[in-house]
Amino acid sequence: MARWLRLFLRLALGAVFVYAAWTKLRAPWQLFAMAVDAYGLLPLWAVTVVARALPWAELLLGLLLISGWFLRTASLAASALLLGLFAILVRTYASGIQIECGCFGPGDAISIRSLARDGSLLLASLVLAGMALWNRRRPALKS
Amino acid sequence: MRPVSFLLLGGLLAWAANPSQPGLKAVGSPSAPITIEVFSDFECPHCKTLHDETLPPLIRDYVAPGKVYLIYREFPLPGHPYALVAASYATAAAHLGKYNEVADRLWLHQTTWSQNGKVEETACRGLTPTETAKVIKLAKEPAIAAEIQRDVALGQKLELHQTPTMIVRRGTAVYPLAGMINYDLLRSFLDSLR
Repeated sequence: MARWLRLFLRLALGAVFVYAAWTKLRAPWQLFAMAVDAYGLLPLWAVTVVARALPWAELLLGLLLISGWFLRTASLAASALLLGLFAILVRTYASGIQIECGCFGPGDAISIRSLARDGSLLLASLVLAGMALWNRRRPALKS
Repeated sequence: MRPVSFLLLGGLLAWAANPSQPGLKAVGSPSAPITIEVFSDFECPHCKTLHDETLPPLIRDYVAPGKVYLIYREFPLPGHPYALVAASYATAAAHLGKYNEVADRLWLHQTTWSQNGKVEETACRGLTPTETAKVIKLAKEPAIAAEIQRDVALGQKLELHQTPTMIVRRGTAVYPLAGMINYDLLRSFLDSLR
């Protein structure tokens, strides 16, 4: 049962990461940069770095999750990324700023719906990371 | 009489084919390779920032050299009590070729009229008495309200959910840019489209 759950979680999360990367990479990078800049958290040079690098990082994470390679590292990195993004989304929503999420391309405003979606992804990622870590510790416990 | 009738009919058909009359509220050459439609609400502070900070360099660097055709669209939000009135005066002024003049004044004094509600006074300041009378009369006509409604309907069709939003078109590609946009990023984006 746990094996099937883990397979489902890594395929689902991997597909979401690949899709998120695709929505950003298919458009000029400046569109994602504008979405990142709207949060008002980073200077312009850092906005450029994030806008150019994050979609490729998402693609890499997605492919690693789907393939199952480096699953512990990939699931922990995905959890850290989703935790950071979720914290920024909650902070922005709570402060009443009405901007686009930027998570899946244009037309995706920050709302309760986007918070619920990203929160669910974070939860799934944490469960997957927990399962991956638990699997690693089990042989050591037996020995 | 017949040629005159044909001319009148032709004019009506041309108007019907292009109901929102972008030429009245537009800057630049319609044959420019890139078209930008700016959906704004006169009472929205972020729209004022966009008009004060982003549009002037955009007009200088891209519209004036014929690279971008800029169209202003009205998108008054329900939560702003004077936004629709302001849009009516600006749209009425467009029919006298005074859109930019009136719109600039509305943006400049936004914080004042959005507090005291004296939209007409702000919009018509600087116009001649004849122009003022025409703008006031036009602003109350159903045709002006219908023109604004067409802009709103277009925005809804494009699934706008905030103002300001710029719709950038290059050929068949359409890119919605929502919110305040950093001009350096906008410039980089427009250069990438050429």
